[in-house]
Amino acid sequence: MAKPVAGVLGSFVHIDAATEAIRALRAEGRTGFTVYTAAANHEVEEALGITSSPVRLFTLIGGLTGCAAGFGMTLWMSVDWPLLVGGKPIASVPPYVVLAFELTILIGALSTVAGTLILSLLKPTTGLAYDPSFSDDRIGIFVPVGPEQAGSVERLLKTAGAEEVRRED
Amino acid sequence: MATLAHEAHTPTQTHAEVTRDVVNTLGTAGRGYFMLLGLAVAMFLVGAATFVALLKYGLGLAGYTPPVMWSVYITTFVFWIGIGHAGTLISAILFLFRSPWRTVVYRATEAMTVFAVMTAALFPIIHIGRQWFFYWLLPYPNARYLWPNFKSPLIWDVFAITTYFTVSSTFLVVGLVPDVAAARDKMFGWRKKIYEIASLGWKGTHEQWRHYTRAYLYLAALATPLVLSVHSVVSWDFAMSLVPGWHGTIFAPYFVAGAIYSGVGMVLTLLIPLRKALKLEHMFTEYHFDNLAKLTLFTGSILFYAYAMEYFVGWYSANKFEQTTFWLRAFGPMWWAGWTMIICNAFVSQLFWFKKIRTNLTALFVISIFINIGMWFERYVIIVSSLSNDFEPWAWGQMTPTWADWGILMGSFGWFGMWFLLFARTFPVVAIQEIKETIPWPRLRKGGH
Amino acid sequence: MTDESASEQIDRRKFLKVLGVTGGGALALSGCSTDQVTKLIPYLVQSEDQVPGIATYYASTCSECPAGCGLHVKTREARAIKLEGNPEHPVNAGKLCARGQAGLQGLYNPGRLKGPKARAADGSLQEITWDEAINRLADKVGAARGKLAVITGAGPGTFSDLLSAWTTALGGHVVRYQAFDHEPMRAANRQVFGTDELPAYDFAKARYIVSFGADFLETWMAPVEHQRGFAESHGYRDGQMGKHVAFGPRMSLTGMNADEWHAIRPGSDAVLALAMANLILSERTGAPADANGLRGVLAPHTPEAAAQETGLSAEVIKRIAREFASAKPSLAVAGGVGNQHRGATELCAAVNILNYVAGNVGQTVNFGAALAAGDGYGALNDLAKRVDAGEITVVLVHEANPIYSLPKSSKFAAKFAKAAFKVSTSLFLDETARECDLLLPGHHALERWDDARPRQGVTGLMQPVMQPVFKTMATGDVLLKVAQRLGGPLASISAPSFEAYLKNAWQSQVPRGSDFDSFWRAALQRGGVYGSAPVSSVRLAPGAQQVGYHKPAFDGTEASSGFIFSAYPSSMLHDGRGANRPWLLEMSDPVTKITWHSWVEIHPDVARDLDVQEGEILRLTSPFGSIEAPAYLYPGLHPGLVAVPLGLGHTEFGEYAKGRGVNALDLLNGDGAGGFLPYLSTRVSVAKTGKYQRVAKTEGNVRQLGRGIADALTLEQARSGVAPALAEKAGAHETEENPPREVPALKGWRAEQQEAYRMGAYAQDFPKWAMVVDLARCTGCSACVTACYAENNIPTVGQEQILRGREMTWMRIERYYEGGESPGEPLETRFVPVMCQHCGNAPCEPVCPVYAAYHTADGLNGQVYNRCVGTRYCSNNCPYKVRYFNWLAYGQQAFQEPLNLQLNPDVTVRAKGVMEKCTFCIQRIRGAQNQARMEDRTLADGDVVTACAQACPSSAISFGNIKDPASRVATLATDQRGYHILEDLNVHPSVTYLAKVLHQVEG
Repeated sequence: MAKPVAGVLGSFVHIDAATEAIRALRAEGRTGFTVYTAAANHEVEEALGITSSPVRLFTLIGGLTGCAAGFGMTLWMSVDWPLLVGGKPIASVPPYVVLAFELTILIGALSTVAGTLILSLLKPTTGLAYDPSFSDDRIGIFVPVGPEQAGSVERLLKTAGAEEVRRED
Repeated sequence: MATLAHEAHTPTQTHAEVTRDVVNTLGTAGRGYFMLLGLAVAMFLVGAATFVALLKYGLGLAGYTPPVMWSVYITTFVFWIGIGHAGTLISAILFLFRSPWRTVVYRATEAMTVFAVMTAALFPIIHIGRQWFFYWLLPYPNARYLWPNFKSPLIWDVFAITTYFTVSSTFLVVGLVPDVAAARDKMFGWRKKIYEIASLGWKGTHEQWRHYTRAYLYLAALATPLVLSVHSVVSWDFAMSLVPGWHGTIFAPYFVAGAIYSGVGMVLTLLIPLRKALKLEHMFTEYHFDNLAKLTLFTGSILFYAYAMEYFVGWYSANKFEQTTFWLRAFGPMWWAGWTMIICNAFVSQLFWFKKIRTNLTALFVISIFINIGMWFERYVIIVSSLSNDFEPWAWGQMTPTWADWGILMGSFGWFGMWFLLFARTFPVVAIQEIKETIPWPRLRKGGH
Repeated sequence: MTDESASEQIDRRKFLKVLGVTGGGALALSGCSTDQVTKLIPYLVQSEDQVPGIATYYASTCSECPAGCGLHVKTREARAIKLEGNPEHPVNAGKLCARGQAGLQGLYNPGRLKGPKARAADGSLQEITWDEAINRLADKVGAARGKLAVITGAGPGTFSDLLSAWTTALGGHVVRYQAFDHEPMRAANRQVFGTDELPAYDFAKARYIVSFGADFLETWMAPVEHQRGFAESHGYRDGQMGKHVAFGPRMSLTGMNADEWHAIRPGSDAVLALAMANLILSERTGAPADANGLRGVLAPHTPEAAAQETGLSAEVIKRIAREFASAKPSLAVAGGVGNQHRGATELCAAVNILNYVAGNVGQTVNFGAALAAGDGYGALNDLAKRVDAGEITVVLVHEANPIYSLPKSSKFAAKFAKAAFKVSTSLFLDETARECDLLLPGHHALERWDDARPRQGVTGLMQPVMQPVFKTMATGDVLLKVAQRLGGPLASISAPSFEAYLKNAWQSQVPRGSDFDSFWRAALQRGGVYGSAPVSSVRLAPGAQQVGYHKPAFDGTEASSGFIFSAYPSSMLHDGRGANRPWLLEMSDPVTKITWHSWVEIHPDVARDLDVQEGEILRLTSPFGSIEAPAYLYPGLHPGLVAVPLGLGHTEFGEYAKGRGVNALDLLNGDGAGGFLPYLSTRVSVAKTGKYQRVAKTEGNVRQLGRGIADALTLEQARSGVAPALAEKAGAHETEENPPREVPALKGWRAEQQEAYRMGAYAQDFPKWAMVVDLARCTGCSACVTACYAENNIPTVGQEQILRGREMTWMRIERYYEGGESPGEPLETRFVPVMCQHCGNAPCEPVCPVYAAYHTADGLNGQVYNRCVGTRYCSNNCPYKVRYFNWLAYGQQAFQEPLNLQLNPDVTVRAKGVMEKCTFCIQRIRGAQNQARMEDRTLADGDVVTACAQACPSSAISFGNIKDPASRVATLATDQRGYHILEDLNVHPSVTYLAKVLHQVEG
């Protein structure tokens, strides 16, 4: 367990209060804060101005790799030991489309998941203050600040309508 | 009625209530549950014992009677693969279509998919003559310097099923993560520890949600063509051959529709008791069952058309072999099976034109059982009756299943039931976070945006 | 190399000694998937004529029936592994029937006695040593003082001479007994021609054959010879083809091969023959002069009278009589065992007259050959009486099983039991041996020295081709040892061994100017000495004037029991001697396609009236007994008849035979009136038992539904060169015109298919193996199927598995019916041997996930057992359904010791869970190719002969490289009668069938 990060943790009941707080924080030029929600919520996303995730790249590359692998494997393996069956060409593409397709899906899906994990790990959540209620019905905002600024942040969250504000240090 | 059903899809309860209700379904279970589980395990053991006997003495223990070289095992294989499809349809395709009613049911169905595919995946091994060499179907460097024959639909099967199993289970796990986290935060003691690990450190930060939602979308996008392809491939096991009654161009769509039809049937069979057992009646409302029923009606009607087409084409092709096959399918030695399939699938599903039936749980349950039976027989008829009388009249023959056939069939249900029961008590069978997504958050000031 | 079963009999010294005699080698592994190998012994002394892995052939003579066909015994590492016909032998000319080939399973039969036994005080049979056994025999026969009798089934030959010399010297007498002894024919010959010998029949020469219930393709006289002849006469060649008409209450396999079969009232056939003779004589179409003397006798027998009796129309009788007379030469035969009614002698006499007036005697009926025959049933009956009366106290039974093959009503067993001392030399513990006090199991014909004279001018030799399987002793040696011990009257009979005795006896045959050794060696190599039989011309004897017709009597009253009962000889089990051979039990009966058990044939119409379904167990009761067997509905019967095959219902005779099926003889009258056993002489009542038993038959759908599987042409069509596809009006060949816009598309498609086919057939410079089957010659006798079993180690699966349709017959003979659906419409039978068609575009190949089924460079449809995982997709996708799956461990179960010694080392014994099928005998192809390579020459046409083609008595199957335009298959495949089964599927089979040719039936 990494040592807890100092900062201020605000817990909200109301969505509009939370979004207002987020906007205010960004207006102050703060970026490093974290928002906890129990479910994805586009109001929060808007407030944070989140751009869509680059995970799609992983999907695309994985898919293409799978497709190539599919055709590559089937064609090479047919030629590697050519056996004649039913008077069909040794390397006949139509049946191999099926395998190429399946591999496209398989590797595409796996790399998507891998992508998500990698990207999430880029922003580790260890040490950030967290409250079990955030996975239930509360919205949490944690602002990592030193004691000198903590007061102002507390005030900001309160005015936005936080139900409870706690200082972590 | 309609209004009620309509409101039902934006849940009346709050975020807190959702978490509470769902998390309450976890934890220690009652006697009834363990009796069911015991039954499932017992059935599975019967199957396992039968399999051992098959290994020792050979497939001859089953009722195979040449020319019927495939029978109950392949039938059951296709049956379970088919079951899987409804799950993926509901969880992936309806997700892409943003269909509101899927939210509540999809988790259970997705789980059903994974376990159904797990069951089906056993059969390619069980049904072959030398089960201990099943891995020869995989492309791995081997002492024989021989690769598998990629022209064989059976190899397509291998790839389709592995892919399908991997993708659908990934999809299930990904969907579970935030819910497990929610459960974790409600748990204490050793249970908390387990869910802690299972939640992969999920906290629901905006970064996590950012990647998660995207990834989920793409997975759904990949699963959609996959589900269509898998059963097409399975159908080509038959359509690619020249057996009259198998060699049909409509097989792929016909099988996919059949698969979803049977799958939804199984969903109904599972959910109706489940919602009672887990006290989630207020979540699974008539609204959901109504929609499931409509889906059944739709796919059932496609089947109706497909059946009609099979017979029409059989007659219209002026192909003696096709004509004989379909004549015998309806009036031959297996007429009873042929009609079971048509009545249970084509006709019974038509009852769902009536809303009264669509929203009557008892009726739904009974009909869902008919669907399961009907769809098993569909595959049995297509496989066995087509094989028993093909080109060479002298070689014609009828088969009757034996204990070995029934043993494996029973075992497959036990195996499936075992996993599903274990899942239902261990993980949230309703997608907490997705329901919350549909519940509006409380606001300080009226209006909002 | 060795395996347990053999190693216990063989110590190496003795073993190496044997090498000198048989030039044998070591005993090889039994097939490849064996798990019984104990130790490997290398050659100590490499015998120069034994190369491991190379087969050695020995000429011998078949002893399965009196026909005495010549054999080539294929041995590998000193084990006989296959029996084939000896091409030089005049009787079978290289061909061999199913029964003959199954002789191998007599040699390796698990039911064989493993050594001498004697009845102990407690009545049980105890093993004893050979010395002891011979002492006992010597004491008893020495003390018999004339009260000695011998019942022997051995045909004429040196052994029989020794046996009678030995017996007479002891004051006893010999009864030569054959179950099917054709007594009526001999009596009739005596009556009409004054000689009671059996003539040789030249079917090949006959252009019109009429059979009065003589099953000459099955068990009558010399079936293989007859079938060869029949194929020559009845096979279609350049516009010509003989005609065959069969009369009889039951359509046997012979009847099925007739162009016309007429169901006549049982026992009414004599008058039919007389009427034909009468008509021919009155229309004076070339009858011998002295035949005119018969006019008076024949006059009353008008076609109308005959029509009255037989139930045929007078027109039919006249037509057939005229056709018969105008076809020169023609041939009429009678005296089949299945048709042996009380009037059988009368019938044979009448047929003699018919042949005589038609001028066939001396043409197709040749006296002088004097085919082997016994003393007849009468003689055996007299002997039984004398035993009963106590005039005989010591009985020696050799190669005969009278207690089984005589009806219970003959009371033979009871009379036989009265003999004080009974000796049997049977190889098996059969019903008769079980009653004997001393068992001296003899050598099998393949283990001993012997010879046989099946007919004048033909002497076949037998030589030991291998070390005896068990501690048995050739009966010849037993006799000599006894003679040695007794001396006295037997002193004159002395030789160190029967081999020496035999050689000595052959001294007389040495032609002037050649020394014995070279003569003997030549004889051994050829398998005997074959000259042409002397032909003696015969004239009508005074007895000819006595020919006539009397309604034959049937036991039992018509009132009490409505049906006439026919016990007919099974073409597989013969008189029952085949019942302990798994091959013959599993080989489906050519007519009914039933295996492993007995059945009752009943006419479908009658069955409908009695409300009998197939498989319902019927109780048949005659005045002499009753039997129960499942019903089989067979349209080839006179409605007044029920028929049961002979050969089953053994109470002993090894595990395969014991307690299997019922013995039809139980219903027969054994009084022996007329000096023969009447197999068609009792009435029976048919009672439903209400019990059912599924009939274990390999029969599927008996109608080909116009799918062009067994195509046929009329003689006119064949002559005018119509192709079967066009002649075939219905079914797969019925293709509609394609609409114009489809045509180009189809063209492209066809081009692609052709391309694909060329790939499948490897357009390069390889041979392409192909087969041609001439349906005009095939009689459905199933010799080819047996040969396939022997060559390819095909396991027998047993009754239960057959009920599940799991027989492993790599090649099966499909029997389709045509017509016969509306009353009066003649029923036509078509046989089609179906084996793997080795398609160019084989549908089985691409669906195999593991390349177990693939295409070889020489156009074969390969099946690699070791690669197979058993998905069985190939079989589903095979339109001919010629792939067979090892559902259980058949390969292990079928060959219980010592049957495993019969396995062909060149062919894998397939494991559980793999697919197998016809390989076109690839081991023979590769063998021939290697041979050619060693001799540094290219493969010539005819170098490769598949087992089926080799065995086929009617030479209906030919095999070779179709890419060689000069080859026989290439020429036959282009015959206008040629067609492929299911041609429209575009799988390009390598097997071409030549359509059957039919004579139109007028009226």
